[in-house]
Amino acid sequence: MSIVARLPRRTLSLTEEEEAAPPTMELTGRRRMTAEERGTAATIFQEFRADRRHREFVVGCLNCGECTTGCPAARFYDFSPREMLQIAQNGDATTLWDAMQEKIWACCQCYTCNMRCRFGNDIAGIISVMRELSVSHGLESTRRTLAPFGRSLTLLMTVGTQVASDMIQPDFFRDWGPFATGSDKVWQVSAEVMRKAIPSDVLQTTRSSWEVSVQTSLELFRIYEETGVLDMLRGLDPDLTEMLIDIIEERREEFVEARERFQDQLAGQTGPVTTFSG
Amino acid sequence: MLSANEIRKVVAERTAHQKGTGKRVVDVREEMERLEERGELVIHRIRPENRPVEASTLFGWTKRIPTDRLWHHKSCGQCGNIPGYPSSLLWLMNETGRSYLNEPHQTSCTAWNYHGTATSNPVALAAVAARNFHRAYETGHFPLIHCGTSFGDYKEMRKLLVENTEVRHKVREVLRKMDRDLVLPEEIVHYSEWVHAMTPEILARQRYPVKGIIATVHEPCHYYKMVPEDAVYDDAIYAGQRPAVPSGILMALGATVADYSTWYDCCGFGFRHILSEREFSRSFANLRKIRPMVEEAHADVAITSDTGCVTTLDKSQWIGKAHGLSYLLPVLADVQFAALALGAHPYKIAQVHWHSSSTEGLLTKMGIDWRTAKEEFQEYLRALKAGATPELLHPAHGEIETFFAVNKGQVLPEASGPAPTSASASAPAAVPAVGGPAK
Ligand code: SF4
Ligand code: SF4
Repeated sequence: MSIVARLPRRTLSLTEEEEAAPPTMELTGRRRMTAEERGTAATIFQEFRADRRHREFVVGCLNCGECTTGCPAARFYDFSPREMLQIAQNGDATTLWDAMQEKIWACCQCYTCNMRCRFGNDIAGIISVMRELSVSHGLESTRRTLAPFGRSLTLLMTVGTQVASDMIQPDFFRDWGPFATGSDKVWQVSAEVMRKAIPSDVLQTTRSSWEVSVQTSLELFRIYEETGVLDMLRGLDPDLTEMLIDIIEERREEFVEARERFQDQLAGQTGPVTTFSG
Repeated sequence: MLSANEIRKVVAERTAHQKGTGKRVVDVREEMERLEERGELVIHRIRPENRPVEASTLFGWTKRIPTDRLWHHKSCGQCGNIPGYPSSLLWLMNETGRSYLNEPHQTSCTAWNYHGTATSNPVALAAVAARNFHRAYETGHFPLIHCGTSFGDYKEMRKLLVENTEVRHKVREVLRKMDRDLVLPEEIVHYSEWVHAMTPEILARQRYPVKGIIATVHEPCHYYKMVPEDAVYDDAIYAGQRPAVPSGILMALGATVADYSTWYDCCGFGFRHILSEREFSRSFANLRKIRPMVEEAHADVAITSDTGCVTTLDKSQWIGKAHGLSYLLPVLADVQFAALALGAHPYKIAQVHWHSSSTEGLLTKMGIDWRTAKEEFQEYLRALKAGATPELLHPAHGEIETFFAVNKGQVLPEASGPAPTSASASAPAAVPAVGGPAK
């Protein structure tokens, strides 16, 4: 006799509470969308289909599965690049919305799928387009996914390098073992001294990947302002965006003051170093 | 899968599917020439003083690799976690008498962020690339890209800037606001290609034979899976079926480069994953990369040529013990391995102490006296702690450079025309203006 047959037979019925408030899950396991979410999903779908990259990246699909066979994310997540491509090609607002809640973030952006696809689809690229839209529309699921990236985004926006040696703190990176931080515990000196032992002055900082000049960081911020990146970030995290603007304002003041301080040395200079105003 | 023949076949099949879509494999460098003639961009040309060496790419196209007067485009991950990677490269340049600039006037390509969090867009990425390209150009030094992802991203951005008029015009408009304009390098060059081009000079200085060392290579995905036509292949290396770098230098030095079944898999970095979903990164790195490297190939060392790959493969192993995976295979960048073989100090230059999987067994096998070197390093740290001046591979920048991207006696290439005969630095000069608006 199989084990199933020995299980007691039970009849289930809805409780009173369940009768009063029907479940918010659809049969597929998906949460029912609110009217507002349906509106956002429709807008996202329109923007997605209107993006020039949709035309360029989505060519067609043989349904061969070559992309998924080589996909690292498909081995560990409920995720498939073939599904992503087919949603991009044939999906509607709801299926796109669904994919954007979680699945798109499984991708490692390794480009193995692109390399294997005989149709020449840019699957990694179309996943990035979906991600961009989830950021610019400030989806709640995206906020949650990107919540741990505050420091990284601050570095990126203000100096253009997204990691720093002082981010690799033993408490957060315990799984990397005792040597990961060039550790002061092992070598009996501070992290600052460990950095001083790197034989290039620009690499000796602990606060970013390398020292970045004020002019360079201001030029970068100008790029973010002019290309809509700051607006994207505002959609995701308005508080962080305001903080970044404050940091950059201070840096601009510092830059203007430095121009006076170094005016003699700058006298013989030409090009952006003399004309860029911050 | 993913051998050169197969990639070429996939590309050919794509072309058949894409008839009528206007997409085809083109040599973007030819279109750059046309745009330069129209005054829409300046090509940063490789000149005689860059001492170029020719290599061949996937489709047999010639790629010129500059070996001198280089502008180091550092990688944000390597400098944060594995500083021995850039310092070994700078050391090799000093040893081989190559000149370079390693400046604070560079941003990263910002593509780690884009591929991890998507808080950017292609116009911004293209403008970031172009700003760095322009800075390299105005110093008269040719950009050398340290990172696999920056290399892949810059190949994509160069293509985008050439093929998409709207993006190009927008980027030029942004660049003008900082008194810069659109300059695209004749070649996008990854540092491992420099190592490849410098192989004879590196071999001439080899101090430790590495015969008997079994190395497994992890080919960084963004080196050859993004814009594959720009990757260097060589018929003498894997019969031209896999990228020539970084395997070529290992073979030339005398190491045995051993094969393993998952060579084409990614490392598990995932951009976002390595910071906030390391369960994935370490599972993938241990099960799909390190285990086959050790169990199939009996590797002594894993070698790669990208920041994220070194980090993921190295740092993911320690926790493997929790699952009975106690491999602790040393992971190094090709430049660290080459520098060690030439006698670079393992701690002061190759900075092996930043690596999670101990390299000391490997150093012993290479015949390197790491115990003495370690004592020297400890002594050096004590001196630094007491206020000693750090030893540097190149002069430190002045205080003014904390603020300003100053002129440096740069030799500015002409937009076109003959190259100057002297490689020496001349007086500062203005950057030639990029021509008028598009016709
Ligand atoms: S780029 Fe993303 S979808 Fe494509 S193979 Fe890599 S992880 Fe999978
Ligand atoms: S490899 Fe290309 S054609 Fe095949 S299933 Fe994936 S997307 Fe479709």
